[in-house]
Amino acid sequence: MKFTGNRALILGGSCDLAITLARRMIEAELFPILTYRNEKGREYISENLKDCPKKYSSLYLEFGNRDSMDSLLHQTGDDIAFMVDFVQGNFESLVASADMEDVFSYFAENISFRTEIVKRVARIMMKNKRGRLIYISSAAAKRPNPGQGFYAAAKLASEAIYKNLGLELGGHGITTVTLRPGYIDSGRGRKFIQDHSKEVIDKVPIKRALTKKEVVEAILFYLSNSAAGFNATEIPMDGGLTAGK
Amino acid sequence: MDILEEIKKILAEILDIENNIITPETYLIRELGAESIDLLELAIAINSVFNIDVDDDEIFLRTLRQYITEAGQQDKDILQYLAEKLPFLMRERLEEIIADIESGPTLKVKDLISYIDLERQKSWNINSRLHL
Repeated sequence: MKFTGNRALILGGSCDLAITLARRMIEAELFPILTYRNEKGREYISENLKDCPKKYSSLYLEFGNRDSMDSLLHQTGDDIAFMVDFVQGNFESLVASADMEDVFSYFAENISFRTEIVKRVARIMMKNKRGRLIYISSAAAKRPNPGQGFYAAAKLASEAIYKNLGLELGGHGITTVTLRPGYIDSGRGRKFIQDHSKEVIDKVPIKRALTKKEVVEAILFYLSNSAAGFNATEIPMDGGLTAGK
Repeated sequence: MDILEEIKKILAEILDIENNIITPETYLIRELGAESIDLLELAIAINSVFNIDVDDDEIFLRTLRQYITEAGQQDKDILQYLAEKLPFLMRERLEEIIADIESGPTLKVKDLISYIDLERQKSWNINSRLHL
């Protein structure tokens, strides 16, 4: 695969998928910059990429903390060719019983704050007249379970921000793609899949969860020059989960 | 660096026009037909060329009508209020703008120059304080 550009900002860089992606990026001679929100995240990245010194960097970013965004973008400078956004706070509640303060702060962090970082990174990319952003959404955006209303709402709103960015700046070399993975045998999804393996197999037409490697390879493909024609769109990657009734 | 010459170069490239038709008195939207995406590009180019922070709403006078309304609601002198809110514009220019506002978007090339001038002065002042 060929890529236009080298430095890739990975938001939510301490999740398993992000680390697997960073490793593949390094193999592809890209330079990943992974963000972490606490010391535990920083250590996790460092531990998992200890065999790749100087081939990546990790920087602090906490969604909701604007100072951390200023500091991050000051440190990255104007050379960001790619951004992959894995960040998503978890918030499960029935709509009719939700704590409204939690709802306001969840949307502020997961929609408004995300919008600001997307805006600022897009402006950096405009200076360079190119850039590619991939938003990692979820099959739950289209088919949430009870209790996932706020999660799905934040995902759909964020998808809309990315879509419009690609719509507005596609002519200036800035393009976006949203991926909607289904069940992934990784991170948060792994325990759910272990606890509900029959349910997952029954629901998913391919009769299994996705592997980390499959998702990461897809992300890398959508960052590559081969996928340049995809823009301002959402792509389900869920083994057919959301295709049927 | 001649600010006007740099602005002319940037505008000519973004709007695909000859730069000899641009003067300080040229209206960006009324005469050159600049659209919102062009102004976004312009803000980014100004940030990059002059190395200053650009507040899009302020430099493109997007909040002008809102400030005029606020001055009216708070029973304040409009010129005085605008001078506080848009400190890069001189009093004579603000008078011109108020007289001209009903004819359409008032943003002129010279407003960009004033904005850039003030922002550069601010950053020079900060830098000289740091070196004292």
